[in-house]
Formats: sequence, C-alpha cells, structure tokens
Amino acid sequence: MKNKFWQLIAVMAIFTMALAACKPAATPTMAPTTAPVEQATSTTVVEATKAPVVEATATEPEGPAWCSGVTKGDTISMLYQWSGQEEERLNQILKPLVDQCGIVLQPESTRDQALLDTRVQAGNPPDVAFWNVTQILQYKDSLKAMDALGANKDAYIPGAIDGGIIDGKWLGLPVKSDIKTIIWYSPVNFEAAGYTVPTTWDELDALVEKIAADGNVPWSMGMESGDATGWTGSDFIQDIMLVKQGPKYVMGIIDGSVAYNDAGVKEAYEIYGKWAKDPKYTVGGAAGTLSTGFNDAILKVFSDPPEAYMVKQSGFAGGTITTQYPSDQFGKDYDFFVIPGAKGLQGGSDWMMAFSDKPAVKALVSYLSSPEGGAAWAAAGFDLSPNKAAAGNYTDPALIKKAAAFYSAEGFTPDIGDTIPGGFSSAEWKAIVDYVNGGDLDTALATVAAVQAAALKK
Amino acid sequence: MKKEKINKFLSHIPKNALIAFIVIIWIVPTFGLLVTSFRPVQSINSSGWWTILNAPVGSKEYAANCEACHGKRGDLLPNANLGDPQLISKFDRSVLLLPALKKEINGAPHMQDIPVPSAQVVADIVVHLKNISGLEVRPKVTLNNYIDALVGYRGTRTYTQDCAEGTPPLDINCNISDLLNPRGMGRAFVNSLFVTIPATFLPILLAAFAGYAFSWMNFKGRMTIFAILVGLQVVPLQMTMVPISRIYAQLGLNATFLGVWLFHTGFGLPYAIYLMRNFLGSLPKDLFESAYLDGANHWTAFTKLAIPLALPAIASLGIFQFLWVWNDLLVALVFLGGTKPVMTYQISNMVSSLGAGWQILTAAAFLSMLLPMIVFFSLQRFFVRGMLAGAVKG
Repeated sequence: MKNKFWQLIAVMAIFTMALAACKPAATPTMAPTTAPVEQATSTTVVEATKAPVVEATATEPEGPAWCSGVTKGDTISMLYQWSGQEEERLNQILKPLVDQCGIVLQPESTRDQALLDTRVQAGNPPDVAFWNVTQILQYKDSLKAMDALGANKDAYIPGAIDGGIIDGKWLGLPVKSDIKTIIWYSPVNFEAAGYTVPTTWDELDALVEKIAADGNVPWSMGMESGDATGWTGSDFIQDIMLVKQGPKYVMGIIDGSVAYNDAGVKEAYEIYGKWAKDPKYTVGGAAGTLSTGFNDAILKVFSDPPEAYMVKQSGFAGGTITTQYPSDQFGKDYDFFVIPGAKGLQGGSDWMMAFSDKPAVKALVSYLSSPEGGAAWAAAGFDLSPNKAAAGNYTDPALIKKAAAFYSAEGFTPDIGDTIPGGFSSAEWKAIVDYVNGGDLDTALATVAAVQAAALKK
Repeated sequence: MKKEKINKFLSHIPKNALIAFIVIIWIVPTFGLLVTSFRPVQSINSSGWWTILNAPVGSKEYAANCEACHGKRGDLLPNANLGDPQLISKFDRSVLLLPALKKEINGAPHMQDIPVPSAQVVADIVVHLKNISGLEVRPKVTLNNYIDALVGYRGTRTYTQDCAEGTPPLDINCNISDLLNPRGMGRAFVNSLFVTIPATFLPILLAAFAGYAFSWMNFKGRMTIFAILVGLQVVPLQMTMVPISRIYAQLGLNATFLGVWLFHTGFGLPYAIYLMRNFLGSLPKDLFESAYLDGANHWTAFTKLAIPLALPAIASLGIFQFLWVWNDLLVALVFLGGTKPVMTYQISNMVSSLGAGWQILTAAAFLSMLLPMIVFFSLQRFFVRGMLAGAVKG
C-alpha cells in the first residue's frame, strides 16, 4: 500500500510538472492543425455511418431541403457573445431547425474571446462560433469554407459578405447587422421646444448651436463602458469622417493607405471634442462624457424633463429606451434620424464561422442563407439581417425604419476598430479618452497611427 | 476604580471605531445590492437604492401645487378628473403638462396665485398623476428580479407580466417546471453542487493521506518530495488551460464533471497538502509513538488518531476549497461552459452584451451568495482555529 500511494503522488507530481513544461509547445500554430482534424473526422464518420443505416428512411423524405442528411438528435455546439434577451431572439430564429430537423443546439455564451482562443488552440473548438469579423482572419486555417457548407452567395445584399472572404475563400457568414450612423431624439420634446429634424450637416450644426443658445443641452455623449470606454466616441468620430470625408477615406484608414493622424481624422476629432468637452453642448462636459455609462446617456434624452435633446447611438438604443419607459411609443416619444450628410453608413455585422462540416452545421448554414432564414431573422427582431429575404418581414416599427435606411444606403463602412486587428480598437479608445480628458490631440493620434501601421504591416 | 473603567473604555474607542468603519465599508455596498435586487428596473435606473424609504416621487409636489383644487385623489373637479387614465395619457410628459398649467381657465390663471412650478417639479407631478390614475403604477419593491433569475427569463419585460398575458418566451411554460429551465439559477444551483462537493472532498481526502505520510511515515526523500509538491503552488492555473484542454479533448473529458473535479483537485492539492502536513506534523510525537507501541498500524493511526485531531484543519480547508470552487468562473467556463452551466456562468449571462437586463444580475448574485454564507456561518468556529493551524507550529 505504501508503495502504490507513493507511486500515485510521484506520478501526479511529474504529470503536473510536465504539463507546465509543455506550455511553449502549445503555440497557436501547432494546435489547430493537429487536433481538430482528428476530432472533426471522428464525428463525421460517426454521423455518416449512423445516418443512412438507422434512420435514412424515416427522416430523409420529410422536412425542408436544409434538413437533408441530418439525423434526429444531431448536435451543434455554438459559441457566441450574445446572452440574456439576445439569446432568446436567436433561439426563436433557430426554432425551425430544431423543430423540423430535430437538431439539438448546445449553445454557450461568453464575452471572453480568450475562451474561444483556448478552445481553438486546444483542438476543441465549437462547431460554429458567432463572433467579430477579425476572428475570421485569425482562425482562417481552421475554418470551413461557406460554399462547401451550402451557403448561397446570392442571398445577401451586395457587398455584405466581402468581409468574410479571406484569400479568396469565403469563410464567414454575416448574420446580424446594425447601423450606427443614427441619432436618437424625442419628437415630443423637439416639438415642444420648436426644433426640427436637420437634413444637412450644416443644419445639424445650426440646430446644436440653437439648442445651446436656448440654454438647453443638445447632446448626451456619455461613453463609460468599463475597459471598453471610448467605443461610443469612436463610432461618433467615424460618422463625422463619413460626413466630412466619405466612405473611401474611412476604407483608406482600414487598409492603411490613410494614416490615423491624417488631417481629416484630426478634423473629426476636433468637431467631436468641441461638443464632448463642453458642458454647454453635452451633459456634464468632459467629466460627464467620460463617467456617464453609455446606457445612462441614452436615457438622459428620454427622461422627463429631458437632460439633453439628442444622443448618437447604434440601433440597440431603442431597446434600452423601452425597457426604462415601457409606455413610450416609437415615432411619438422616441425616434431616430440618419446623420444628415453622411455618405454611406457605418454598419457592423456579427459573423458566423464554422469549425466543423458535419451535416447539422451544413443545415444551419443553408438555413441561415435561405429566404426562410432571412425572414425568420427579421421577424424575431434581432437587429437587421443582410439576407435579402429579410426585407419586408420586420415587425417592430423602429426596425422597419432602420431597415429602410439600411437597404437604401449608398454603401457601408465597417467599424474601423472592429476591423483592424492587433489591439487597434483599445488604442483608439484610449486616444479618445485621453483627448476628452484634456490630453494633446497630436500625440494621441500619433500613438494610434503607430498601432495602426504595426497592425497592418503583416 | 470607576475612573479606570472609563479610561479603559475611552482607550478602546479608536480601535472599535476603526473596526466599525471597516465593517461598514464592507457591508454598505452589499446591502445596497440587496436593496437594489428588490426594486423594479425602472426605479433602479432612475434613483439610488437609499431613496427606497422616501415618499413616492411627486406626492409632495402634488400636495403643494394641485391638491387644494383637485383633491387628494385628483377626482374633486368632475370636468378635470385626474384619476382618469385617458386624460392623463394626453399630459404624460412635463413638456405637455406645462403649457396646460400656464393656460388661463375661465379668465383666471390655471394655478391661481401659486406660481407655475419648474419643469422638474412638473415632471414629478406627472409621475404622481400616472400613479394615481393607474396609467403606470410602479411598485416600490418587487420579487420579479428573483423570479426572473430563478427561471432564467430572457425576455424584455418580466416573467410574471409575460405569463399573465399568455405570451411567454421560448422554453418557458409558466408553471413549476420552469424552475428546472437549463438557463435558470435553479438548475445551475444543482450543477454547482455537483461540481463543488466532489471538488472539495477529493483534494481534502488526498491531502489528508499525503499530510499523514509526510509527517509520520519514514521514507527516503520525504522532504524533497514535500518541497516539490508545495512548490507546485507557483504554477499559474491560466497557463495550463490549453494543454489540459487538449488532453481532455483526447480523453473525452471536456464538458464532463469528472474533468472539472480532476482540475480542481490538481490545483487544490499543493496548498491542501501544505496545510495538512503542517497541522499533522505539529501533533505530539508521543501520541503516535504510543499508538504504534500498542500495535496500531499506519492505517489505524491515521483513521483513529490523525483524522479526528485534524478536524479543524479539515474544516478550514473545506471552507477555502468550497468557496474557491463555488465562486470559480474561469475553470467552469473553459471545461464545462454552457453544456452544464454553473451559477457563476449563469450570472455572467443574465445581462445582454449591451447591458440590458442587469437588474436580474443583482438578484442572481444574491442567490449565489446564499449557500457560501450558510457554509461559512455554520463552519466559522473551525475557520478561525484552522487559520492558525497552518501558521503556528506547536
């Protein structure tokens, strides 16, 4: 007994030390090439042998086209950043897949990208992940091509899938889109104060001055968001660039041909800073901008009496407003307008990428890129879908208006920070915080430009 | 005599004040969270938890400005019945009510000799009018946050509201079976117990064996092996996640309880062995020697002598390990994830990625604190003894 006990302890000690020592071998390049292949093949073999023998006659004839090849009880493991109410909407969208094909969803939700990294490096990735566009580039070697999984290119509005094409291979499916170039306001407050919705940038500028001259506060610009503080500001600045410089300029920043400390960027920062730092233009001045949570900032425009008259925020703001003010009606109590003069919109998409090509994943991909999938996405009210078939199926009045702006837009630019890899977004946010805090603009922009150059060199 | 007592009392004041201060600093935020968890989301967003005992918003302003003519319940004037929700819905904002207050009625100012109040006061009056007319009644306290957390409600309103109107979200049946909803805290509670109890028991058992062996069994290299084992404490847990996850993937241990138990056992052992060895080693040598003389083998000495004497150390280790595993998110997230959600995982998913639904989080946080508090208070007398166990060699 003594000896065995000792062996156990010794084995454990050696085992643990060996693990610790093994760490350098587990570099990102090693893991995905070896382990996932083995895993994927083993599962597909099981599926392939099981499907025809056991239930081929029972499942194949019935159900829609995307179910073909799927055996009842097949699972899809999914990893995404959505949770809470968002998860509920996704479940509604995927319900037909569950009901008609008998697929069992195994969703996991986290906002920690390190978890996805860990899983991929460990050779244990989820079947599909819903994540940002940068992850498509990051995991391009482990991802399965969308055309091979049965995705339909023509189902999407032009240009929507471009971000998912890496080295000529289509690796990501855009699923959820939102437009950011909009300003939320309260029609009832506007009417009471005698303000009208501006139609050009100069009118917007004049309106801001008029509201300030009346002794009211035009903007609510709070952007506190934990360690992501600043993203609200970066959206606003990109929108100003879309007005002043246009989408080509913004795309130039993304591909590196325009440096981030260019004169056009600086001008946008200065316009933003003029408002964001002055208590005359925004609630609380610079301190208010830095310390007010972005959700609280939205509510300040719709509180009674209003603390401000306008807030620039993405499409999700409507949900924040109706949670706090359940009786508020779209069009009367809250509404939005597209930033006047913006050439093209800033829009962001969440992407689906597949680490497995088993039949259930094929079913998911072909369902999402089918007309039914697009319509279901729209009906669930989970923001906008770049699927053409989503048009006309929105039920929420705010989404209908957003969809109209989305489909009639001259073009889209992705969020700069979401698109440039290598910690660019954090650098951008930090520059905005520093600038609003009273730091020197040229220094701040030069730092970001250095990060931009380093990230795009590869 | 009396003077001495007073002096003694006075000399203790700074120390006691300091302790009271520290206690208050620690308790106030928790207490605030507790109060917040009982408030409806609209109130949470618009006022702090300490205002919960204040009079309802607008009632004072209404009494000062309107009550003289309209009456306490607003129905004194038949052609301006403020208890009518339809009338109030036309004036449901200060910008809409203010012009009406400035207007003249029958040639006299609406407010008569009372000056027209500021926008903020009018806004408060609007809140009060909505309340008395029944247009928007907002309760002061509610159990909705706890109900929503328990059943894993993911809609945009509340579970009770949705079920009353017969429009429940997916996976919600509006009956007792909702308590077992995989997205609720009820189910997660069971999973957390499944993870925590073996992950607490296993390392303590192994550490007790090891502690006894290192203290009372003679073999070569005893101190070297002990030093290596204790030294393993420096291995950071985060560094081993990828390699262990790879091994688990090959062994099929990912997303199984066994995998998490082994992981927690492995990382709990070095400290547990260290503490057990120090405690058992400090027991009197004569005790064990007389036992051996009486013919006891190591097994008897271990079960009959060491374990009963080491109870305080075992209890304190138990608390440490239990709290650590119970509150752990990282290991559970990587190795179990959403397939067998534990409470910490569930809490982190109550809020949407843009911060909607965070009122449920306050209630969920308190639900997850319940069991650790029970464990701590029931074992705390061992806790203090056990803390000293590893530190002081007798």
